[in-house]
Amino acid sequence: MAIVAQTSRFGTYGRPTLAWVIGLLFFFPIFYMVLTSFKTDADAVKPEFLFFFTPTLENYTNMTANYDYWHFARNSVITAVSATAFTLFVGIPAAYAMAFNPTRRTKDILMWMLSTKMLPAAAVLYPMIFLAKGIGLYDTHILIITVLCLINLPIAIWMLFTYFKEIPKDIIEAGKMDGVSTFGEIKEILVPLAWGGIAATALLVFIFCWNEAYWTVRLTTLDAATLSKLIEGNRAPEGLFFGRLSAVSTAAVGPIVVLGWFCQKQLVQGLTFGAVK
Amino acid sequence: MSDRKLPRLLQTPAVLMLLVWMLIPLGMTLYFSFIRYVLNSLRHPEWTSPVPSNWRGFGNYEFVLKSKDFLLAIQNSLFIVCSILFLTVILGVLIAVLINKTFPGQGIVRVLLISPFFVMPAVNAVLWINMILDPVLGLQGIAVGGINDMLDGLREMPLLGGFFSLWPEFSPISFRATQTSSIAVIMMVTWQWTPFAVLIFMTSLQSEDMQQKEAAILDGAGPWSMFRFLTLPHLGRPIAIVVMIQAIFHLSLYAEIEIVSRGNGNKNLPYLIGEFANNNIGAASATGIFAVILANIVAIFLLRMVGKTLME
Repeated sequence: MAIVAQTSRFGTYGRPTLAWVIGLLFFFPIFYMVLTSFKTDADAVKPEFLFFFTPTLENYTNMTANYDYWHFARNSVITAVSATAFTLFVGIPAAYAMAFNPTRRTKDILMWMLSTKMLPAAAVLYPMIFLAKGIGLYDTHILIITVLCLINLPIAIWMLFTYFKEIPKDIIEAGKMDGVSTFGEIKEILVPLAWGGIAATALLVFIFCWNEAYWTVRLTTLDAATLSKLIEGNRAPEGLFFGRLSAVSTAAVGPIVVLGWFCQKQLVQGLTFGAVK
Repeated sequence: MSDRKLPRLLQTPAVLMLLVWMLIPLGMTLYFSFIRYVLNSLRHPEWTSPVPSNWRGFGNYEFVLKSKDFLLAIQNSLFIVCSILFLTVILGVLIAVLINKTFPGQGIVRVLLISPFFVMPAVNAVLWINMILDPVLGLQGIAVGGINDMLDGLREMPLLGGFFSLWPEFSPISFRATQTSSIAVIMMVTWQWTPFAVLIFMTSLQSEDMQQKEAAILDGAGPWSMFRFLTLPHLGRPIAIVVMIQAIFHLSLYAEIEIVSRGNGNKNLPYLIGEFANNNIGAASATGIFAVILANIVAIFLLRMVGKTLME
């Protein structure tokens, strides 16, 4: 290691500086959004108040008073948590079967699953609304949870599969010798062993569920509407409501960004998609 | 080996669910694409219900192929996806290599860098097109205004003023116009997905063979040739995976296009479908079938590329 850690001028000063500049640049839009959320709508468009202004909580108090933020936030949590759980519940056994008992067609099945993600949502929107209304599930949690699960299942199975595949088969087989049932094998041996990959998968699926805005906006009116619907309804005429817009946006992305910060280590370690050998 | 049966059966729920999810809407889309089916029509109220007697054959397909937006939408879809892929992979590799070594505040920089990936696409689009790119009220407008004010001041200066009066006034760019709206979409999506590429490349770089690198240094290899001959080949697989996952997501890009262009700007295929679907479900469905075909062509290429290495 000593040789690799050669010091050059770039290594000591240039690299950290450049890295910090890029990091701050990438974060700047989010910082600017949060900053603007504390300005009044009038101040938000004045260049002289770009960074220095009298902060106000007005936008946030208005938000909870006018649109019942908590209703949408509650729906987002309910649907994203249930959909993530449901995805793992269906995905872990499927990935287990594919990783430890592959057949000739396993690869084709996996590829086919991924290809269902390429089906353009806009193409099937109308039939979906038609069906949802037909069976009376339009604007319900159950429908949104099912749809979120279905659109994330291919990616989840793929992630889990690539993670499981790295686990030596002998360890799983050893369980079989001890007379453990198949479900016992998954629960007692596989899940603890692959915990990192499962956690990363769950996180990614949760992020995708929380941020989904095509189906959640179009398959709900109010009862099951999530935060993306709240954003959709606040896309006001340009420029007039920067303060208000920023507050709603901050409240919608805040929870997921903070969750992402806390779990970044899991993501860095688990997000391999089979790319690490 | 009867004890193999149950483990194999465990994939059936997932397969069945996805099969239903794919076949039922796709079947309905296929059916709608062959009939006259509109949401509102005063002259032909009979077209407002999806019954077989409204059969139109390939009429919807002909209508779509003849519409001037169709080819443009395909071009745009491909242009947007390819640009985003190109930019995110290049930026992702550079940033991942940059932050792979330890330096003061590495953890914080990493957190700052990956944050955009967690932002809702709709928020991303609203934020960029209004607060950053707006030619008057956004940061772009403020910056351009500031530069112009500064130039005005410099023109007043004795001696040097003459030099600065040769400079033009800058005018801000409107990113809602037809020619520029794709650029805005590419910018915002690149901002959001570069962190994803960085995450995957970083994970992969952590498994790089350090002994190989030390040997290369002993052999007198410079940083560039080490990057070119060791790091880049090591990143081959992750690059393929980043390309594939992003292609899946960006071919169906919708919220960003809708918020940026509001129909005046460049459309991609999903947006065109949405536009038709405001009334003409038949035409929307036919466009949808075209989109499915396009997605499958792209999928075959990508899945070949990644699939080969997947089962190793």
